[in-house]
Amino acid sequence: MFSKLKKLKLATLAFATVIAGGAVADTIKIAGWGAKSGPLRSFGVNSEAIIKAAIDRVNETGGVKLADGSMAKMSYDYYDSACNPEQAITIARKVASETDALIGIGPTCSGVAAALFGIFQKKVGDSSDTGLQMPLLTDTAVRNGLAQISQWTFRNTPNEPDMYDKLFAWLRKTHPEIKTIYGGTETDQGHSAGTYSIVIVQAAIRHGFEWVNGPIDEVTGKIGEGRANVLKSSSNWLMADTNFSVQARAFKKSGADLFIVSSHPFTTCGFLKELGRMKAMPKMMVGLTSSSSAETLKGCPKQAEGMIIPTSFAPITPAAKEVAALAAANGGAADLHSAAAWENVMIIKDVIEAVGITGDPSKVKEERAKIRDGLEALETTEGLIGKVTRVQDQGEALKPFVFVHAQNGNWEVLHDPRN
Amino acid sequence: MGIGFIDILQSLIDGILFGSIYALIGLGFTLIFGAMEKLNMAYAASSIGGAYVGLGIATLFSLPLVLIFFIGPIAAGLLSILVYLVSFRLIPASNHLGSLMASIGALFFIDEVIIHETQGSPLTFPELGIFSEAYFMLGDLGFRGDLIFIMIFGLVSMGVIIYLLYYTRLGLATRAVSQQNIAARLCGIPIHATNISTFVLAGILGGFAGCLAAASVGVISPLLTIPITIKGLVAAVIGGLGSIRGAIIAGLLIGGVENFFLLVRGVNERDIYVFLLLFVFLVLRPNGLFGNEISRD
Repeated sequence: MFSKLKKLKLATLAFATVIAGGAVADTIKIAGWGAKSGPLRSFGVNSEAIIKAAIDRVNETGGVKLADGSMAKMSYDYYDSACNPEQAITIARKVASETDALIGIGPTCSGVAAALFGIFQKKVGDSSDTGLQMPLLTDTAVRNGLAQISQWTFRNTPNEPDMYDKLFAWLRKTHPEIKTIYGGTETDQGHSAGTYSIVIVQAAIRHGFEWVNGPIDEVTGKIGEGRANVLKSSSNWLMADTNFSVQARAFKKSGADLFIVSSHPFTTCGFLKELGRMKAMPKMMVGLTSSSSAETLKGCPKQAEGMIIPTSFAPITPAAKEVAALAAANGGAADLHSAAAWENVMIIKDVIEAVGITGDPSKVKEERAKIRDGLEALETTEGLIGKVTRVQDQGEALKPFVFVHAQNGNWEVLHDPRN
Repeated sequence: MGIGFIDILQSLIDGILFGSIYALIGLGFTLIFGAMEKLNMAYAASSIGGAYVGLGIATLFSLPLVLIFFIGPIAAGLLSILVYLVSFRLIPASNHLGSLMASIGALFFIDEVIIHETQGSPLTFPELGIFSEAYFMLGDLGFRGDLIFIMIFGLVSMGVIIYLLYYTRLGLATRAVSQQNIAARLCGIPIHATNISTFVLAGILGGFAGCLAAASVGVISPLLTIPITIKGLVAAVIGGLGSIRGAIIAGLLIGGVENFFLLVRGVNERDIYVFLLLFVFLVLRPNGLFGNEISRD
């Protein structure tokens, strides 16, 4: 997890903390926030259910070891940021200034994370920057590259460019008969439209798939290239749309072998049902990572049949199976977004033990900084389906993933690229 | 891919057929406005709420799914009574803005209750049986059976409402309350009972609309509420607030315009043209297609 040199540094830090003395707490507090109201409520519900399960597990197994060797329980407060940037910023300010929470987990939505990360101090130690100085370890918010906004923000979310690159490479190899592609996205959703136009289409082009109406200007396969032209060449919709006749007809008319459908479950289902009515189902479909959730299969199991999605969570290991069961027992669901919350709690526990935390409320500021340093020093972490590599200078993660496809109302593993 | 004449015609057909949903919701807005000269912004939320209740009860008691289309409208009627009591009955009649704001509050309240009960997840909604399977071809043009059914349902609803308003005692009372509420009261017409009847009637109609909207998509989600509220309201205003046939015609018109511009200008510009149409009507024909004359200052 840590290199030898870093281990030595952290041990020295922990030792210095004990020598310096001070009060030691019996509870270590963390704060969580995410969407618990609004249309994306399931994000917060799932995330909180898994944070609760993880903290219960930590406490059942003795708690977290403090700098003086004593054990403390972990506790958490979870706030509703409603997938609303202003609300999330208010919560973050309140948590940072009015509570003893040493670290935050949140805010679930990518658009909110993009705004929220901006109020944190950009560069550690910059006295001219009065931004929040509290570490944040994010689950769920998956849009590419967000953690680089501040050195206090870290993410444990899937790396979509890597996932789609591997997916299309594998599809190219295993399905040479699939040649042409066409697609669409929700243009009012940052993650759906961003991942579609910056990552997915380019990955497909890079691996030799052809856009059905001829090459898209400026799109050569390099991430982000020709983004606007990708959107212009596609048939798109909005997140609350209910009528997909024009788009489905365009997909049908394209006659492409592979359709890319990059949207959240509600419109994915509405759109797929319209495709089904028009008898326009393609030979193959690739979906957005966010659609590999229970919501899609609750909404349209028949129409989603066969859809392929890369995901960083599937109940394929004993640990992942256990977390899926615990999430359900706590009223949530484990998916590629929420399962990271379990990993985050375990990462926080490990970091607290490594850097030597007292939990003394009078030292909140310095202990937050220590935890941040500990997070930054991580090289790998234990993930539910395998080892996670930290991209240290970016605050991001490279998580293991598998390709799943919808089969008989379930997401089943189609291919495990680690094998 | 170029856009041909058939594509344009097909998009207009699809849009007009889908506009039946807007027409039904617009009809409810206009019915309540006609009776009380007030806008019930929670109308579409009650309609979708009714559909959710229908789905919930049918699932909970393992009832035949067709019963959703009966339970949903009844539930929407009951929700409408609740909205009337909270947003209209308890607020002084002269406080139009108060009722408007209270009904907007009711909209978000109902929406949030649905979100909390379903975690915001879309749920499969039963489609309209043989109608949803049916897809008619006329040359190169396709027609969705379920949307044709919804359009016919909208036209029949219009007939039923016109009959109720002009050929029954309830309709007579509603029109009397609408035109001169003090005189109606002096004639012994119970104002609140009449208003509640109008809300229940509109609510039942909305419940059908909510169920049909969800059935046409095959999925129900709280995300349906706001767009249907906005488009239904635009239909009521363009049709002329208070005009029943106006709401129907305007709903179909909006559906057609929306789909046409989706085809030719894309999804990001689509709604600009719908609201431009509303703007044109408000400036050049403020009383809508068939509304009572509104004089401008």
